Parts: sequence; C-alpha cells; structure tokens
Amino acid sequence: MSSTEQGTSSAAPAEPTTAPESAAAPEVPESFYYVHGKDKVVHKVSAGALQHSALIHGMISNLGYTEEQAKANPFPFENIDGDILQMVVDWCNQHKGKPTPPEDTNLPKQKEKLFDLVLAVNYLEIKELLTYCCKQVAMMVKGKSPEEIREIWMIPTDAEDEAAEKEAKKRAGKEAAGETAAAAGDAK
Amino acid sequence: MKLSNYPYLVQKEILDNMEISNLFLMSFVSKNMKKLVKSSQVTRFKSIDRIVFDMQNTVHPTIYIQFGSSVHFIILSSLISEDLETDYFQLNVSGKIIAFKCVPLYYVPCRTRFPMVAFNQCDKQSIFESIHNYLLDFFGDSIEYGWIITDCQFFVPQVQHFSLALNFLNTGTDEENMEKLENIVSSSPIMKNIKTSYWRPTGTIKPESKLYRAESISIHQNNPTIPVNLGRFQGNQAFFRCHTCEISDLNEFLNRWKSGEAFQNLEHLDITMNHTDVPLNGVLNAIGVKYIDATKTPPTHTLPKVYFESGHKPNTDPIISHTYVVRKTDNRVASISIQGKALNFGVWNKTEEEFLAMVK
Repeated sequence: MSSTEQGTSSAAPAEPTTAPESAAAPEVPESFYYVHGKDKVVHKVSAGALQHSALIHGMISNLGYTEEQAKANPFPFENIDGDILQMVVDWCNQHKGKPTPPEDTNLPKQKEKLFDLVLAVNYLEIKELLTYCCKQVAMMVKGKSPEEIREIWMIPTDAEDEAAEKEAKKRAGKEAAGETAAAAGDAK
Repeated sequence: MKLSNYPYLVQKEILDNMEISNLFLMSFVSKNMKKLVKSSQVTRFKSIDRIVFDMQNTVHPTIYIQFGSSVHFIILSSLISEDLETDYFQLNVSGKIIAFKCVPLYYVPCRTRFPMVAFNQCDKQSIFESIHNYLLDFFGDSIEYGWIITDCQFFVPQVQHFSLALNFLNTGTDEENMEKLENIVSSSPIMKNIKTSYWRPTGTIKPESKLYRAESISIHQNNPTIPVNLGRFQGNQAFFRCHTCEISDLNEFLNRWKSGEAFQNLEHLDITMNHTDVPLNGVLNAIGVKYIDATKTPPTHTLPKVYFESGHKPNTDPIISHTYVVRKTDNRVASISIQGKALNFGVWNKTEEEFLAMVK
C-alpha cells in the first residue's frame, strides 16, 4: 500500500465493484499526505493510515490541504531514520481501518532497530505499535539475571549513577557560579 | 539499547509488560532501577491481593502472588545438598547473600523462566525471612504476606507483617497429633487458617486452645461422626468434611448460634458428609427455621474466603436458600441450605427486616 515518490503505485483504495445501493452519500476520495525522515525519501500515505499516529492526525486534521499542497509540503521528521520511518509507514498501511491484533510478530529483532523504532513510534504517538514494541523490548530480558539485564539495557551500576550525579551537581554549581558572576558584571 | 534514553512513559510501558518475577530481578540491577520499578508499578502492586510463602513442599517451597484466584510465581526454590553449580548468581537480599538461577517451569506456557533460590536446610528459614523483608520493602505493606507451613518442618518466621496458615498433616497417632497440634498452636501467633486432615482434632481439643481463635479452620476427618464441638470457635469461617454426623450436635450448634451464646464472629460454615444417610433435613425441623415464600427468590450469600489455596475458589459457595434463622440477641439472619450431603450456613450482616427486603 505504501509508495515512495521514487517508487510505485497504488495508494488508492480498491474501486467498489458494484454501485452502492443508495446514492445519498457520494464517496469522498481518499486524501493523501507526504512524510519524510532523515534520508529525505518521501512516503505517500493515506489519511486513513495516518490516523494511527495521534501526532500526524492532529497536524493534518485542520489543514484541508489539496493533493498538490500536500505533495508540496511533506511533513519532515528529521529525527527519524529513513528505514525506521518506512517501517512505521508500512505498519500504518497494513493496519489501516483494521482492528489491531493482540500480537505483532513482524517487529525488528535487532536491538538497535527496535530501540529506534520505539523512539519514533513514541514521538509519532502511535499507541498500539508502541505497546507491541514495548512488549518486544520487555521480552528481551525475560528470565535473565540482573547482570544480563544490565548488559542488555545498558543500565549503569550504583557507582556509575553516583558518579554521574556528582558530576551533574558539579556542573550545576559551576553554571550557577557563572551566572552569578555574569549578573555581578552586568550590575557594574 | 539504553533504557534510560527512553522517556519515562515508555520505560513504564516496558515495565508494565514484564512479569512480576522479572521485575523482582530487575530491582537488583541498581538502586535507581529499583526506584523506577517501584514508582512506575504502584497501581499494579496495589492490585495484588496476597503474596504467599508456600512452605508446604519442604524441598521446593515457592513464593507466589495471588490476584483474585490467579497465581503468578515470583520465586521458586530448591534444597541443595551439594556445591552450587556455576550457573548460579548471587544477590544481596536484605543483607543476606543468596544464590539464584533462572529456571524454566515446564507447565507454564512458553517455558517462562523464573528465579530459583538455592538453599541448605540449615539456613532455609533465614533465607526466606530475608526474601520476605525484601518483598515487604519492594511491594509495600498494603499487601498481605501469608506463610503456609506444615507441622513437618514448622517454624514461626521472625518477620514483620505476616499471617500464618498451618496445614497439619496426618503423621502420627491421634494422641501424638493432638499433642503436636497443641504445642504448635500455643507457641504461634493467632493463625489465619488451620487445616487438619484425617484425624479427630476438635473432639478432644482443650477449650482454651488458640485453635479456636484462628480466623478460619478446615477440618477433614474420617472418624465416624463430626463432633460439632465448635463451642469455643471465635473465628469467621469453618469448613468440615467427615464421614457422618450426629443430628443432635448440629442442633446444638445452631441453637447456640440462634441464642447468641456462641459463634458471634461466624460468617460461614460448611459441613459436608461422605455418608449419604444422614437426615440433614431433620435439623431444620428441630431448630425451627423460618421460610421465605417459595414463589420468591432469596438473596445469594457468598463471601471472599478468609484463606484459600492456589487452585481453589476464592469465595465461599453461594447459598441461595428459602430457609433462615434469626439470632435473638441482635436480630441478625443466617441462611441455611441443605443440599444432598452438605449443610451450608451463611450469616448476613443484616437484620431480619433488611434481609427480607432483599427477597424478590
């Protein structure tokens, strides 16, 4: 269902094979929007698919763009890698207008990809996909020892936490001293 | 993948999707992680009904959580007599270094792995007490921490905030059992539940015994009659299963309740007989029960059980009966149901007028 500007086709919904019984409500053609990530590759996505994202849905709901305006103004998501945005777009298309299943087994298995996907999905506010991703992240430490959990999720030790806290306090102290000195200079 | 790089709500969502046994292990990763788990899971932890230290299996005690009638294991354990294998890891649990490893439970779906504690017989009690203290801090003191212990290796845990249930097994002669039960009960705090199997405890138990102060008792016995010698019972719920009974004993029990002379705290009594020829209906005639109009629907009496083991029903059997009695002293009502070999007695916190107002 998804297509890129370089690529192919078929974002439009299938034409009904028979005429509707009542002609009272004429079918509104589906509107499309365009998004791109860090790699600038533009993805054409239907408004129906984008409903999964509370962020984008909120952005487009009052725009009233024409097809041309939408094409000319793709939503930039510079903080999301292109391949991750592609995954998100694919997921939104696959689940367009459908109830989401309790499990999703097509999520990336590689730790770093999943990590980036979680951040992207959280940013785009796609609740169901975020839940799947978080389940998958939780599965990574199922039945693991505390040391294994620390390694997988890169959790600092108490000593590292204390050192970081000390460092943060030191930095805050320096900044406060700098501000005081600057304020005194201004007063002179 | 650095968990700390996620926003709090994402971290919470991840933790929400973890089994509680994994959250327990997670809490040992660092102090900050323990804080995060505790603060993000407040609602989930508050919904826990009970944490059970089930010490009945002396080789493999288990610690599990009860949410209603469902059970979630937190910690398994195993008595070890030899040196530890290398795949154990050590954790400091409330100041005590305890060896754990993660093992699958084959009858749990997806072969979920659970933390398993290794213990020697000599430090079993102190290990489980340390775990109790740790869980008390981790889950909080709004939850009930119940220990189930048998008479085979009985001890009273030296911890705060716990309830005790005794499962008294049939290990000696009646006389030996009686003495052992008395010793255990008298040296323990008031029990949540006392369960005995296949001997005759109540017939000869001393009137001043602390057994009568247990919140709940469950007695299975195979001697010919049930001695409904609950004369001193001050608890809430009693469950009997026996071969047969004397109608006169039941009459005496019910009359004493009606007069307000005894069983002031009783909420539910369940007597089941194995023998089919006991004319239980004779009881109703003898004590003068009252009847609700047969065309009307009586209210249903059921209560959460004071104590129930995993795999058992969390509530008392519903009593829907057209017969009831009224206590003279406070006008409280008890529904009585006799069905087949079972007599069920459920006390309402209602006066007769209030009770009849519930009839439809």
